[in-house]
Parts: sequence; structure tokens; C-alpha cells
Amino acid sequence: MSAALAVEADGLVKTFGKGDGQVRALDGVSLQVPMGTVLGLLGPNGAGKTTAVNILTTLLKPDAGRAEVVGVDVVKHPARVRNQIGLAGQFAAIDENLTGEENLALVGRLNHLARSDVRARTRSLLSDFGLSDAGGRLAKTYSGGMRRRLDLAAALVARPPVLFLDEPTTGLDPRSRVDLWKVIEDLVADGTSLLLTTQYLEEADRLADRISVVDHGRVIAEGTSAELKSKLGSTVVEARMADEDAAEQAIGALKSIGDHDPARDGVVVRLTASDGPAALSEVVRALDASGLVLAGLQVREPSLDDVFLSLTGHRAEDGQDEEIAAGADERRGGRRSG
Amino acid sequence: MTALSAGDRLARRGGTHVVGDALAMARRNVLRLLRAPDQVMFTLISPIMFTLLFRYVFGGAIGGLHGLDYVTYLIPGIAVQTAIFSAGTTGFALADDIKKGFINRLRSLPMARSAVLTGRVTADSLNNLIQIVILVLVGVAVGFRPQSIPGLILGILLLLLFALSASFVFALVGMSVSSVEAVNAATFPVVFPLTFASSAFVPTQTMPSWLRGFADHQPVSVIINAVRSLVLGDISPSVREALFAGQSTVSLVLQSVAWTAGLILVFGALSVRKYRRLGS
Repeated sequence: MSAALAVEADGLVKTFGKGDGQVRALDGVSLQVPMGTVLGLLGPNGAGKTTAVNILTTLLKPDAGRAEVVGVDVVKHPARVRNQIGLAGQFAAIDENLTGEENLALVGRLNHLARSDVRARTRSLLSDFGLSDAGGRLAKTYSGGMRRRLDLAAALVARPPVLFLDEPTTGLDPRSRVDLWKVIEDLVADGTSLLLTTQYLEEADRLADRISVVDHGRVIAEGTSAELKSKLGSTVVEARMADEDAAEQAIGALKSIGDHDPARDGVVVRLTASDGPAALSEVVRALDASGLVLAGLQVREPSLDDVFLSLTGHRAEDGQDEEIAAGADERRGGRRSG
Repeated sequence: MTALSAGDRLARRGGTHVVGDALAMARRNVLRLLRAPDQVMFTLISPIMFTLLFRYVFGGAIGGLHGLDYVTYLIPGIAVQTAIFSAGTTGFALADDIKKGFINRLRSLPMARSAVLTGRVTADSLNNLIQIVILVLVGVAVGFRPQSIPGLILGILLLLLFALSASFVFALVGMSVSSVEAVNAATFPVVFPLTFASSAFVPTQTMPSWLRGFADHQPVSVIINAVRSLVLGDISPSVREALFAGQSTVSLVLQSVAWTAGLILVFGALSVRKYRRLGS
């Protein structure tokens, strides 16, 4: 294994539950984070992102596969791994009944830093994260954005060389999200290696050097943001038709336009193209020539949804519903056969 | 942004951290306790109500005490009940820490694995001590007269040790169920019969023989009898025969210590094992 890797995982498998209720959260996930770079793990709810982070941060043991953080095996030497990592999870893991300062000092003490270092780190982190004034207040009085910043600060107390951020901005308002992005960018500029999970393409796009797209416990695509987008086409054109019949006909009419075959979602026909505006006028001409009437038309940047639709054929948001529906079918089937 | 720099590693103190980490966690738990004194009072409301109820409402009708004052009989029973309910805090607090994700942060730190539990029960023991002292004071106000002060102090120590063992039982429950409410639901059906089918409120002689067999030998009665015997000091052989089946204070205390140590060993080990396997 190369020493230049901050994180390396190979064929991680993790299953939860028993019997019919069994869920394969990870189904052979492999990933690499070179030192000093950012890997974005992009996927919908339930894709297995948090399970992967929990294994890499020694909170969970994998059923199969292996993983190393700065060259140390996470299963064989968890204690040594914990000396190298910082983790900020999906929910701000801070103690609401302690002040911001006490939260950071506790983490410093449990990292076995010298008392003077604990004090110095606490002060400078509170200041860097804009919490100096709130440091003496109980964390339960903090806003959502402040809690996330305190949580991130807690992950940084011991200056870990490798940082894991599990959906750091989920649930934050746009302003707090942009603030947190800036903090993360500063960290990375200072040499921290980062594994970041997110549901937002925009976030992965902005922060990650490379992106692994995860779905149903598997990595289904990997590359830089530009590589993924070029696979996809850089813009999405959506034509809304009057009804589903018209939409079916429109698919035929629009086949020659865009990078891939158009796809239909209800009455909306979607295609991707590298040059959106040019494709837009082609769409109008082609539909006009076929005598189809448009109900609406728009060009937009591709979203995570589009990445998923093109990579998996299903929408990102449907991931969980499908599983629930499949489970319900199995239960119904079980009753019939029983 | 110097504080964010990753390159400049900080020195860590070496050696074992079992005690230091436990103290850091205990300090955190005590700070929380001091910030919510209403919680300490809240868990005391029911034992104080029980004291008043049994002292003034039922007490006059309770017989078989061989001339003992009922309040003096009652308070050791209520104190053990209080210790059990107060140990429930351990379970609630752990379930709450797990639910809020705080335990995951701790488990990702290079801290001693035992410190979450040992720090928890250390702080909870302090809480128990406060509760027992308040209860004894309330008891004295309504007529509780311990006959032996060294006995009372030993009794309180025994209670603390028992509360510690109960804390480990609740720790396991707290880590095994999904919510704080579930800790409550899971413990009530166990705690209720253990405290009522015991010598806590009435002597067991009047119970039907099948129930008396259980009530006399289950651990809660053993602890109550040991504390009661310590507090009563010298009593006549006939009273000792009636209340404690003739067992001496030393014998009762040794049995209590054996039960308590057994509970700590078994549930301590199960709790540590559960903690290590959280989430999987």
C-alpha cells in the first residue's frame, strides 16, 4: 500500500439485521483518498455513505474487505487510527449542556493534549469559527449553523491529518452552508486530507478533488467533477409536454439531439447536452417539425438527480422509497405463499 | 488561519488514560448535573411522596414491628428504592448520548474505552449520594431516628455500592433500547415487583408463603435488611428473628456485598461488551 494515501478501502461489505429484514449497506466499496486531497462520497439517503465513514473511523467493523487510514489497518489497530482522525458526523455531536468552550476542552482532554495546548486550541478554534463571543454560552442556545461549526471545531482540536465529514451541511440554511464551505476550503488548503459525504452535487463539485458516486452500497462512478459531468453532458434540457403520449412521441423526435438518448419522466422529456442554448433551439425546431406542442421548456445545470438518472436509471430521491416498496412486496409475497 | 493548520502536530501525553479519561467524563457529567438541579429534585419527588404516604397514611395500620417505630423501619426501604430509581439516570443519560450522536464522537477519539461507562457511574454515584442524604434529612424531619450513627454511615456506603451495581444494570438497558422513554418502559415492570415484593414497606411475615420465599431472598430485600440492621444497631433477638430471620448484621452485610459485587461484575462486563459493539 502506498504511503501517499490518507485513506484506502478495498471491497468493504457491511450487512445489518438478520433474515428477511437484512440490509446490505455496503456491497464491496473501494475508495482512495491521496494525501492532501478531498474525496467526495456522493449519494442519496441510504446509499451507504455513513456506514462507510463509520467503518473508516473505527466505529463499526466491516463484515468483509479491509481499510487503512494513513497506512494503519482500521480493524487491527483502531486505537492508532483514532490518533490520526477527526470526525464530524451528520448530527452535531456536541454536548448541549456544556458551553462551546467546555465542549472543545473535553475533546482536547480526551485526546490527551497538554493542558496549555487544550486552552490554546480551544481559544483559537473558537475564534477561527466565529464562536469567540458564544464560547461561554451553553451549546443548546446555539443556532444550527453554530452547532455545526462547533462540531467541526471539535473534530479539529487535535489537528488530525485526516478528516471525515459526514454530510456536514445537511439541514443548514444556504448562508450557513456557504460559510461552512469556506472553513472546509481553508482546512484543505492547509494540507488536511478529507473524506466528505454529501447528497449535494454542488457541494461535492465545490469541495472535492475527486468524487465517488455511491448507490445501494456500491460505487457506481468515480472521477473528477469535470469527468462525471462530461459523461453526463454539462447542461440539462427539459421539455414539458401536454400528456404522456405526446412525451413518448417527443422522445422519438429528439433522439438526434444531445449526448445521450432522451429520457422520459411523466410528461417531462429530459436530455443532456454540452451546449445547452444550442440544444434548446434544436429542441424547439424538432418538436415544431413533428407538430408537437410544448407546455414548458427549461435549461439548467445537472443535479445529483440527473447524475443518478443517467448512471442508474432511477432518481436519487427514489432510492429509499424503492427499498420500502420492495420490502412491502416481499411481505405481501410472504403472506401469499404462507 | 494557524489554528486550522494540520501540518503542525500536537504532542499527546503517553501512558494509560483509564483514570484520567474517566475523570474527564465524570467532570462533564457532574457539570451537566449541576446545571440541571431540578432533575435531582425531580427524581426525589416520588421517594419523598412515598415517605409521607407510608409514614402518615398507611403507617398507622402496619403492624408486626415488635415495638419498632415505623418511620425508622421505613426509611432504609425507601432509600434502597431511591437508589434504584436514581440509578435509572445512568440508563437515561447513556440512551440520550447515543441518540444525540455524542457517543459516536467519543468512540472516534483515542480515549480509554472504559471511560464513558466509568465516568458515567462515577458522576451518578455522586448524584445518588446527594439523593440519599436529602432523603435521610427528610426522614429525620418526620421522625426517622437511626440508633447507630456509624451504622447509618456504613448503611449509606452500602447503598452507594448497591446503586453502583444498579447503574451497570441500567447502563446495559440504556445501551440496548432505542430511546430514553424505552428505558423507562423496560425498567418499570422489573423495578416495581422488586421493590414492593420486598421488606421495603412492610415486614414479610404477613405475605403468603410463595411470595414471602421470593421477598425474603431477592437482592433488594437483602440490601434493605442489611441497611436496616446497620441503622437499628442493637435489637433484641426476638425482633432480629422476626425481621431478619435471626441473621446477624455481619451476615446481612456480607450477603449484600456478594450480591452487589456479582451484579457489578456481570453487568459491568456486559455493559462494556455492549459499548464496544454499539451500532453493529
